[in-house]
Amino acid sequence: MTATGSLTAPAPLTALFVRLKLSLLRNGLRQSAKRRAAYIGSVVFTLLFAALQLLGLIALRGHDHAAALVTVLAAVFALGWAVMPLFFPSGDETLDPTRLVMLPLRPRPLVLALLVSSLIGIGPLFTLTLAVGSVIAVAHGAAAAAAGVLAVVLTMLLCAALARAVATANTRLLSSRRGRDLALLSGLFVAVGAQLLNVGVGKLSGENGLASLEPVADVLRWVPPAAAFDAVQGVSDGSYGPAAAQFALSAAALALLLWWWQRGLTHLMTSPDSSTIQAAEPRRERPAGARPALHRLLPDDRTGTVVLRTLRYAWRDPKTKSAWVTSLAVGLLVPFVTTVQGGGSVYTACWAAGLLGMQMYNQFGQDSSAFWMVAQTISSPRDAYLELRGRALALALVGVPYVTLVVLGSAALMDEWAAAPEALGLALALFGALVATGAMTSALYPYSIPQDSGYKNVVPAQAGLAWAGIFGGMLTGAALCAPLIGATIWMHTAGADDRLWLLLPLGAAYGAALALAGLRLAAPRVAARLPEILTAVTKG
Amino acid sequence: MEKEPGEHETSAGRAGTPPAVLIRGLWKRYGEQVAVAGIDLELPAGRFIGLVGPNGAGKTTTLSMVTGLLRPDSGTVEVGGHDVWGDPVAVKARIGVLPEGLRLFERLSGRELLDYTGRLRGLAADEVDKRATQLLDVLDLAGSQHKLVVDYSTGMRKKIGLAAALLHNPEVLFLDEPFEGVDPVSAQTIRGVLERYTRSGATVVFSSHVMELVESLCDWVAVLAAGRIRAQGPLAEVRGAAPSLQDAFLELVGANDRAAGHDLDWLGGGAR
Repeated sequence: MTATGSLTAPAPLTALFVRLKLSLLRNGLRQSAKRRAAYIGSVVFTLLFAALQLLGLIALRGHDHAAALVTVLAAVFALGWAVMPLFFPSGDETLDPTRLVMLPLRPRPLVLALLVSSLIGIGPLFTLTLAVGSVIAVAHGAAAAAAGVLAVVLTMLLCAALARAVATANTRLLSSRRGRDLALLSGLFVAVGAQLLNVGVGKLSGENGLASLEPVADVLRWVPPAAAFDAVQGVSDGSYGPAAAQFALSAAALALLLWWWQRGLTHLMTSPDSSTIQAAEPRRERPAGARPALHRLLPDDRTGTVVLRTLRYAWRDPKTKSAWVTSLAVGLLVPFVTTVQGGGSVYTACWAAGLLGMQMYNQFGQDSSAFWMVAQTISSPRDAYLELRGRALALALVGVPYVTLVVLGSAALMDEWAAAPEALGLALALFGALVATGAMTSALYPYSIPQDSGYKNVVPAQAGLAWAGIFGGMLTGAALCAPLIGATIWMHTAGADDRLWLLLPLGAAYGAALALAGLRLAAPRVAARLPEILTAVTKG
Repeated sequence: MEKEPGEHETSAGRAGTPPAVLIRGLWKRYGEQVAVAGIDLELPAGRFIGLVGPNGAGKTTTLSMVTGLLRPDSGTVEVGGHDVWGDPVAVKARIGVLPEGLRLFERLSGRELLDYTGRLRGLAADEVDKRATQLLDVLDLAGSQHKLVVDYSTGMRKKIGLAAALLHNPEVLFLDEPFEGVDPVSAQTIRGVLERYTRSGATVVFSSHVMELVESLCDWVAVLAAGRIRAQGPLAEVRGAAPSLQDAFLELVGANDRAAGHDLDWLGGGAR
C-alpha cells in the first residue's frame, strides 16, 4: 500500500468499499436455498482445495525443484488473475468502475479503496494460501522468512492490481457485444483447459516430472510476481544481490500497474460510456454481386443456403462456436491424452466422431427463437428434409475430413496403421448414426439453450427433456452401430485379417445410409411440429 | 385449395373476393389463463388494418396463431381462402411476418440475412440480390448492410425484419408492434414503405397499443381486450361519436372511469 504514495483522507472511502465487499459476500447467502447451497458448496470446495495445495507445497519443502515449481505457480496465478475478469466479468460486481461514475470520487483514494476491497474474498484467500505455502516450501532461515512475508504482500497486491487494471482497461470491451461474446467462450476454455491440465499433471507427477519446469522457471524468475518467490529462494541461498533486484523489479511492476490502472480509471470515468459508441466497425465492403468463395462453391438452393448459414454460425455465434470448438478440441485431445498416458488404441479416435456427431442434436434449439424464420419457410416435409439435410451436410463438411484426420493421426501416433481402416469405418458409421438420431431428437425433443451463459446449455425446466433426448439418442446411435461392431469382431475372430479394410467402405456406406434414413424419418415430424418446436426453443 | 365449401357464405369482402384473413372461434389457454377467448374476425383485403389493445390483451398470441407460429387450442384461420394449418404451402407463400420478441439470425449481416431469407423462400439468387438492394436502399440500411444484425439498433432491426418479411412480395403482411422502440425517422421510413405496399392492393395487419399511430395509419381497426374482440370495422365506425380513437378505445375496454389519482396530491409544486 506504500506504492500509492501520499493520500488525502482515504480512510472513509476504503472502509466503505471494504464494507460493500463484505456485504456482497454476505449477500451470497441471501439467495434461494438451492443457490445458497451452491454458493456455500463452492466456498467449501475452494477452501478444501486451497488446504490441499498448502499441504502439498509444505510437503515439497526441501525438494530439489521446489523453487522452480513455486516460481511457475506464481506466474500461473498472476495470469489467472489477469484473465479472470475477461471471462467472468460478473464474478465481482465491484470490478466495474463505471458503476461509480456518478459519484464525486478522486482517482487516488478510489484506487486504494478498490485495491483493498479486491483483496477481500474467496479468490484472494485462495491465492494467499498458495502464496504462504510457496514461501514455506522455499524459505529457509529468518532472513528468508522475512523476505517471504514481503513476497506474499507484493504478490497479493500485484495480482489484485493486475486484475483491476486489466478489467479497467477492458471495461469498454467487457460492456460491449464483443466482450459478452468473449465471456461466452469461457466454457470452451474450461473444457479444453481441463484436458491440458490432465496432461500437464500427468507429466509432472511422473518420474523427474518437476525437473522439466526448470527451463520455464529460468525465464519466469525475472517476471513479477514470480520474481518475488525466486527472491525468497535466493535469500535462503544467500544470494542477496539478485534477490534485491528481483524485489525491486516486483515493486516497480506494482507501481507501474497502479499508475496504468489509475490512468485507465480516470479516462474511463471522464469519457462517454460504450453504449453510445459503435460496438463494431462495419464489415469489409464487398462489391455488389460478389459472393464469398464458399458461397460460390455451394449449390444455389435451400441446401446451400442452410449449409452456409450453419457454417457462418459455427464461426460467428459464440455459443455455437464454443460447442463446435469444444467438441473438435476434446475429440482431438482424447486420443492424444490416452496415448500420452500410455494406453488406448486407434479406436479412441471414435470420440472425435461421437463428439462432433452430437452437434446434430437439438439443431433448432441452437437457432433459439430465430427458428421462426426457418419455420416460416417450411411448409412441407420436403422443406423440412432439405433444412435438416443442409445442417447435416454442414456438419459432415467439417466432420468427415476431421474424423479421417484424427483416425490417421492416432494411427500414426500409436503406430497402428493396420487398424486405421476399420477404426475409420466405425467412426464414420458412428457419425452417421449420431446425425440420424440427432435429427430425430431435434424434431422430437427440442429444448432452449440459454443465450447469455457460457456454461448453461439447457434451461432448468427442460433439463430432463434434454438429457433424455441426448442419452436416448446416444444409446440408439450406439445400438445402430452394433451390426458393424459385430462384423468387425466376427472378421477378427474368423481370421479374415486381410479383408479388414472392407470395413472402411462398409462403415462409410452404412453411416451415410443411417444418416439419410434418420433425416427422412425426422423431416415429416419437424414439418408437423413447427409451432411446438418454436415454443420449446424460445424459453431461453 | 377448393376444399372449403363454406368459404363463400362467410366471406363478406368486396364483390366476392375472399377476406384477407378469416378467423373463426380462435381459443388459446395457458393453464388456467385464457390468452385468446374465442375470436371471430374478418379482415378485408387491400386495407391497412390495426389490431389494437392494451398490453396482455392477446395481440401477440393472436398474430402468432394466425401466422402459424403457435398452434391454437381450437378455431380456424384462413388467409386468402387457404387454411393456415391445412394448407401451409399456399399460406406461407402468401404471408410475410415480423414477430415481436423473437430473434432474427443476428449473426448474419443485414444483407446476408435478406439473402438467406430470400433463398429459403425459393427466390432465384439474382432476384434476391436485386430486391435486397432496393429494400436496403429504401429502408435506409444500405450503409449498414455489411454490419452484423446483432449490432443493429432497435429501429434498424425492425427495418431489416420488415425487409425480410417483404422480400417474397406477400399478399398479407403481419407486423407485431412494428413501431415499438423505433425512432421517429425510422418510423417514418417504415410508414412510407407500408403505405406504398397497401396502395398496390396488399394487406397490412399490424398490432399496436399507440392509438394515435393506428388512427393516423389505418382505415380499418379491430379492438382486442382480455382475449376478445370488442369492436371491428372501418376506423370511422369504431371511433363512432368519440373525439378520437383513444377515447373510443378507453370506453370500449372500460378504462375511462378510472379516477385520476386523488392520492398523489403531494406530488408537484408546493411543500416538498
